[in-house]
Amino acid sequence: MIEAAGLTVDMGAGQAVREASFVIAPGDRIGIVGESGCGKTMLGLALMGMVPDAGRVSGSLTIDGTQMVGAGEAIWQKLRARRVAMIFQEPMAALNPIKRVGETVMEPMMVHLGLGRDAARARALELFREVGIPDPEARLRQFPHEISGGQRQRVLIALALACDPGVLIADEPTTALDANVALRVTQLLVGLAERRTMGLVFISHDLAAVARATERVMVMYGGDIVERGATEEVLAQPRHPYTRGLLSARPSPGNMRATGGRRGRLPTIPGSVPPLAELAPGCRFAGRCPVELDMCRGERPPQRGTMICHRSEEGA
Amino acid sequence: MTLLSVEAVTRRYRLPRRALWSPPPVLTAVDAASFTLDAGRTLGVVGESGSGKSTLARMVMGFERPDAGRILFDGQDLAALPPAALRRLRPRFQMVFQDPYGSLDPRRTVGWSIAEPLRATGAEERGKVAEALEHVGLRPADAGKYPHEFSGGQRQRVAIARAIVTRPALLVADEAVSALDMSVQAQILNLLMDLQDELGLAILFISHDLAVVSSICDHVLVMEHGKTVEQGAVGQIMRNPGTAYTKSLLQAGGLL
Repeated sequence: MIEAAGLTVDMGAGQAVREASFVIAPGDRIGIVGESGCGKTMLGLALMGMVPDAGRVSGSLTIDGTQMVGAGEAIWQKLRARRVAMIFQEPMAALNPIKRVGETVMEPMMVHLGLGRDAARARALELFREVGIPDPEARLRQFPHEISGGQRQRVLIALALACDPGVLIADEPTTALDANVALRVTQLLVGLAERRTMGLVFISHDLAAVARATERVMVMYGGDIVERGATEEVLAQPRHPYTRGLLSARPSPGNMRATGGRRGRLPTIPGSVPPLAELAPGCRFAGRCPVELDMCRGERPPQRGTMICHRSEEGA
Repeated sequence: MTLLSVEAVTRRYRLPRRALWSPPPVLTAVDAASFTLDAGRTLGVVGESGSGKSTLARMVMGFERPDAGRILFDGQDLAALPPAALRRLRPRFQMVFQDPYGSLDPRRTVGWSIAEPLRATGAEERGKVAEALEHVGLRPADAGKYPHEFSGGQRQRVAIARAIVTRPALLVADEAVSALDMSVQAQILNLLMDLQDELGLAILFISHDLAVVSSICDHVLVMEHGKTVEQGAVGQIMRNPGTAYTKSLLQAGGLL
């Protein structure tokens, strides 16, 4: 069980995560969505105690009751892999290219669980079967470059599961994959979370994948969780102007808006996510928001039900 | 008016031999693909990785020669043209790649990179770079900046500026929006449609994402393992996919 209250990651130039509060209970499947540079990965890294050296973490983060803000590396090492594990972006970079994938998966079991080689190997084989890797015996002996992108992602999932974590954080697990492969990887993660009663944090900018993978979702912009709720409700009836903008910009024939006799264009959010140092002190979305008020830039917006916004729902 | 005509084009690659004396296995990357693209229209080519769509794009650009079949650009067979004639024709068809960071020289100003296709053909540069930057929603003053000073979406705008600076009739976009965030993706798709309306560009739009293809293309060609499994009007294929493969792509993309 993970509980965050006012969890903040300050990178010096600005806050990459600003006062995030949430609970992840066993079996919960939570999505984190938003554009690149909005703090999704940084929040994931904070839950792993892996924020880069320049970052300062404050607020409260408890994992199974232990306060982890200010905890030393030794304490984190006891929890990492066993209580929280993470699947990183770019499966090729996350695997050691000169090591057989079986060895890579066995390593954390030998280090963290104290298993011998044979026991670790048997368990690696079992994990390969669980994540649906065909011919697992042969796969254990292969190198990362010998296997396809989809299979590599499955190896990484097996690696993350090696020490039977209570919560699995998957950072953009489907982004580099073909649509069909992405679908199967998403289904695998959901199945694993259900069977093992494991928490799943699914970080992605792919809204279709998030809709499939999660029950609840948090939308991040500029380090703030601007909206949260049941995934189905948030995607069907977004309330925050940022969530609305994101959803309407989704390419699909139904989202095209024709103006002045031209063929349809997609509605867009003007501009792009600014660097941390240039974020407004008040509402992070100020400057790009279509329904901005005078106060938005300077004053932090209040929590209104499931979103933080100066506008009441009717106004937004 | 037909601008691009691809006639039963096939491309095979020899793979490394498995044993010393065995003949090397052959992979047919593109198997007898045929389509036509009219001036000012957009054709989408969709498929998974390994379906042959990028090989098809490289052949249309004249980077690779087909083993069989013909590619006619404005009535001229690309493979039959002498190198000098192909070079003269090149300003009329340009390409945008997936990764703008990899396709722009990090040590050169973007103005230099945008002018590159002009220099290659000895065309007059003055004014054209500024005009291209304005066309893609950037400022003429941005010509003096370096690629790292731009965001991912802006870099893709720079790459598009370079592609249109010679006023081509055809733009080949290979996964041009795949690496972008969704809101930026929408901006770039709109930009491509604007440019098409203003400049009369034909676009060959290569993508693995049917949702993107369905929002920008008139017609679509679906490829699987080098074979064309289906082609036709986008709306019709979306409503009534003719093969299980197309259906699975629609489902996977959350469109069905």
